[in-house]
Amino acid sequence: MQTTVASEYSNEIHSVPIEHRFNPYSDNGGTVLGIAGEDFAVLAGDTRQVEGYSIQSRYEPKIFDVGDNIVMTANGFAADGVALIDKFRQQLKWYKFDNFGGKLEIKSAARYIQHLLYGKRFFPYYVSTLIAGLDEEGKGAVYSYDPVGSYEREQCRAGGAAASLIMPFLDNQVNFKNQFIPGTDGKEKKPLKYLTLEEVIELVRDAFSSATERHIYVGDGLEIKIVTKDGVRTEYYPLKRD
Amino acid sequence: MAGLNFENYQRNSYLSTKGFATPRATSTGTTIVGCKFPGGVVIAADTRATSGPIVADKNCEKLHRLAPKIWCAGAGTAADTEMVTQLIASNLELHALSQNREPRVITALTMLKQHLFKYQGHLGAYLICAGVDPTGAHLLSVQAHGSTDIGKYQSLGSGSLAAMAVLETNFREDLTKEEAIKLCADAIEAGIWNDLGSGSNVDVCVMEVGKDAELYRNYLTPNVRSQKARSYKFAPGTTAILRESVRDILDVEETVVSFDQMEVDTEA
Amino acid sequence: MNHDPFQWGRPSNETYGAYNHQIANAGVPDNTTHASLDAFPKMHTQQPIITGTSVIASKFNNGIIMAADNVGSYGSLLRFSNIERLIKVGSETVVGLSGDVSDMQQIERILDELETSEEVYDNDGGDYLRAANVHEYLSRVMYNRRSKMNPLWNSIIVGGFYRDRTPFLKYVDLVGVTYSSSTIATGFGSHLAIPLLRNLIPEDKDYVKVDEQQITKVVEDSMRVLFYRDARSGDKYSQVIIKLDEEGKVVFEFTKEVKVENQSWRFAKDIRGYGSSQQ
Repeated sequence: MQTTVASEYSNEIHSVPIEHRFNPYSDNGGTVLGIAGEDFAVLAGDTRQVEGYSIQSRYEPKIFDVGDNIVMTANGFAADGVALIDKFRQQLKWYKFDNFGGKLEIKSAARYIQHLLYGKRFFPYYVSTLIAGLDEEGKGAVYSYDPVGSYEREQCRAGGAAASLIMPFLDNQVNFKNQFIPGTDGKEKKPLKYLTLEEVIELVRDAFSSATERHIYVGDGLEIKIVTKDGVRTEYYPLKRD
Repeated sequence: MAGLNFENYQRNSYLSTKGFATPRATSTGTTIVGCKFPGGVVIAADTRATSGPIVADKNCEKLHRLAPKIWCAGAGTAADTEMVTQLIASNLELHALSQNREPRVITALTMLKQHLFKYQGHLGAYLICAGVDPTGAHLLSVQAHGSTDIGKYQSLGSGSLAAMAVLETNFREDLTKEEAIKLCADAIEAGIWNDLGSGSNVDVCVMEVGKDAELYRNYLTPNVRSQKARSYKFAPGTTAILRESVRDILDVEETVVSFDQMEVDTEA
Repeated sequence: MNHDPFQWGRPSNETYGAYNHQIANAGVPDNTTHASLDAFPKMHTQQPIITGTSVIASKFNNGIIMAADNVGSYGSLLRFSNIERLIKVGSETVVGLSGDVSDMQQIERILDELETSEEVYDNDGGDYLRAANVHEYLSRVMYNRRSKMNPLWNSIIVGGFYRDRTPFLKYVDLVGVTYSSSTIATGFGSHLAIPLLRNLIPEDKDYVKVDEQQITKVVEDSMRVLFYRDARSGDKYSQVIIKLDEEGKVVFEFTKEVKVENQSWRFAKDIRGYGSSQQ
């Protein structure tokens, strides 16, 4: 089937074939963010799910406690996100059956998720995936992935619709990028330090309230899952609903 | 030469086939509505402007003045609604001056539709046009291609369905002025909450027969920005200064002039 | 242990011989080759043919309500006006479908099989099919079909109760996207009915403040607006209310042929032309 691109001049009318087939993906918006602290890690996400210009749900959580003190999110195409997390959860369960209930370390979980994602290399899960937890030394850990499984351990990472709005803010406020010690004439960088949990939650809330102001796919509510040695805790804060 | 310039049209469509992204115009996303009541008409709009999924302006004005008592709510490409509205406002003023009569809504509508039709939909202006004139109160709408519509209540823009749902369930012929304002504001709010292209505040304009038009800028502000949890003030010197140069670009000369020497325009 | 479900509970090969994999292809004749199957292109749904428009649904303090009209459209032709798009599954669940009607009938059949296998053959635990189970099952069917690039072209709402008797309402569509909310609508309903339903129930938890009478009124309003403004809709619809009576027992109320009442077309009488023409 062919269609004509609208044009003023008959001599430049050219035909472009339109592809007419089923599109197995959709974009369900939302944004997520993970920050690792010294002895904790948080994963946060807004609770809005969208389709086009409509809000499907104002409260559809996308951060999950998958067990073994690991929290996980896969943001983008909601059906793929759910499928990926379900699959990982199931595998984790089976791992425990096979290993007398032993704990799956987060670095092993991270590598396993790479294989889940790469396993669908040519029909990818359309999601940006984040996991958070504590490493073997009890230090906070955040791992982030691209849709086909390239991953990295990081101090912080934003994913989803407003990632490009939040990430520069995080670079500046978590890793102190572009900040120098006053009086050193731009010679000495502001030294890195671990942020407290309170500081991190304030940063997360501010990041999401700002993203809500400027991105139409972000809003309604903010759900934060906090991982410490004592387990996983959830906090909720309302966001603007327009 | 008058009118729009299509010189770069061919070049641009060639570039887009080579994979260069076409620049995105700011769209007013938008919910706009209008509703009549015995003795007048009300129009209202939200105040969000978007560029793709990004909110470009949180408090833009979508109610435009065509004449003192004829106002127009615009949806579609922000620049087009703005320019087409300014052009018609000018021509309407000249027309009113030459005819020595108050401008009529139907005149504005005809000028708008003829202008838009000429451009075959390339001007992305979708307008709800309302006002009072010697023939009474009127509510009309124009689409980008030049078609027009009459109705006692209308809505346009991406939130038009949300707004229309409210209008369809709550409109009555015998609305008071206050009820009509409330209905329009409710319809805009339906767009603000349910349509992602619309948001922020509600602007309202009321035009009553025999009275001046009243614009209520930010009639409702249900989306005030929340207080941040942290302070983001940087200590001076946090940002490195890479280079510094100070140039005198003009000479400053100070002279004292006493008051009685000054020329004062007493006419104005 | 081997966790592959296909290896579970198989009779041992030593005693019974290896499994005959041909059994899995039971319907296909033995002499069928790949080439002969490929000779005729395999058809996947690429677009809906006969379609049903919106389904709307909401929770209220005592249960859930769902409505869908009876039109089956063939493009812009009003082809059928007797299509039933709300189906009862098990004893306390309703499934509302919009989109392709032939795919809807396939889903009806799938749900019928589910009901038979779960309620008749596997009812040893005394438990029964609930809305959450039906939704989970359907969402897997929908996601698997989309992953085979052979979707069932529908948007589906499942309504009923959780085990603890709180109302259940959840959505799934042709790509397998799911969500829950106190108010859900498909198609045009998501643009026209949701704003009205959300005016009554602004936040998800607010459904507990709304009674059956209030929600029924807003559903009536919504169906009227849809009839006014959705060109593929009809003025006759079915409505299901699933609620708890005083003793906490489930009441399943299926009302057919509800008419869209209190229409007003009087605005038409004094409209002349489209602009300049005077009365």
